[in-house]
Amino acid sequence: MIHPLSIPIPWWIAGPLMGLCVAGFYAVANKHLGISGAYVQVVDFARGRPIEVWRLWLLVGTFLGAAAAALLGGNPQAGFGYGVLGDLLSLPELVVVLFAGGALIGFGARWAGACTSGHGLTGCSTRSRGSMVAIATFMITAVAVTLLLHVLTGGKL
Amino acid sequence: MRRVILVCALFGGAFGFVFAAAGFNQYDVIHRMLLLKDVKPFLVMGSAVGTAMALLWLLERRGWTTPLGGALSLRRWRVEPKQLWGGVIFGTGWAITGACPGTASTMLGGGSLMGIVLAAGIIAGIALRDLAAKRTERPKIAPAPDAVPVS
Repeated sequence: MIHPLSIPIPWWIAGPLMGLCVAGFYAVANKHLGISGAYVQVVDFARGRPIEVWRLWLLVGTFLGAAAAALLGGNPQAGFGYGVLGDLLSLPELVVVLFAGGALIGFGARWAGACTSGHGLTGCSTRSRGSMVAIATFMITAVAVTLLLHVLTGGKL
Repeated sequence: MRRVILVCALFGGAFGFVFAAAGFNQYDVIHRMLLLKDVKPFLVMGSAVGTAMALLWLLERRGWTTPLGGALSLRRWRVEPKQLWGGVIFGTGWAITGACPGTASTMLGGGSLMGIVLAAGIIAGIALRDLAAKRTERPKIAPAPDAVPVS
């Protein structure tokens, strides 16, 4: 199948476009673009707390946008695939690892106040000091743990 | 309200499209970045921040009034230990899964079914953190506001 969109698109197109989304969202709606907040709404809803519905619509938007990108450019990870991690683990193992890893992501993002989008992209763009500390911690830890996994798996990851 | 929802869906849509077009919803792309084998994802993030920072700085300086949300007020966090503690835990999860919260929904949108597992894990993690925070809460001290208002 021939795709009209070649993924990944060049970084110098993707980056400024992403920046435009962040700045444009503030300029139009005066809202801070962050994704983890949408998942917080699910938990708040389950606990009977008031929720911010707009965050859920932002999340629905990301889902639809990614679907459009996959239609135009395909997705090598479609279905049950998960890149080299999916090659290394059986499906049940992969599910356990991704659920546990996801829980760490949710726990950490909730504690730190935001995630890679809310702190890393948008928080750094509003020149938020706390966000810069958060994204630096995310990055340094993630690189260190990734390199450790690389060594522990004998270079398979 | 309806207009706000539409704007959120549109900006979410644009963001999700670029996110996926940059390959950020693929484990291998993020994993190679974190292995420091591919610097392009870092360049995407850096140029995104550079673009948004410059635009927001200009808008803030001009005292921009947003059409849907009143006077522009940029959200900021002051530096606190929680960014380090939460950051280390988040970074570990990021390294293991090659994913972040934006990845789960865009994986799913792109047809990667493992996004469901990630989303379930993220929600479970947030619920756990809320439980842990509740347990250590000291009722005598008023909770500090999360965001520092900007003049």
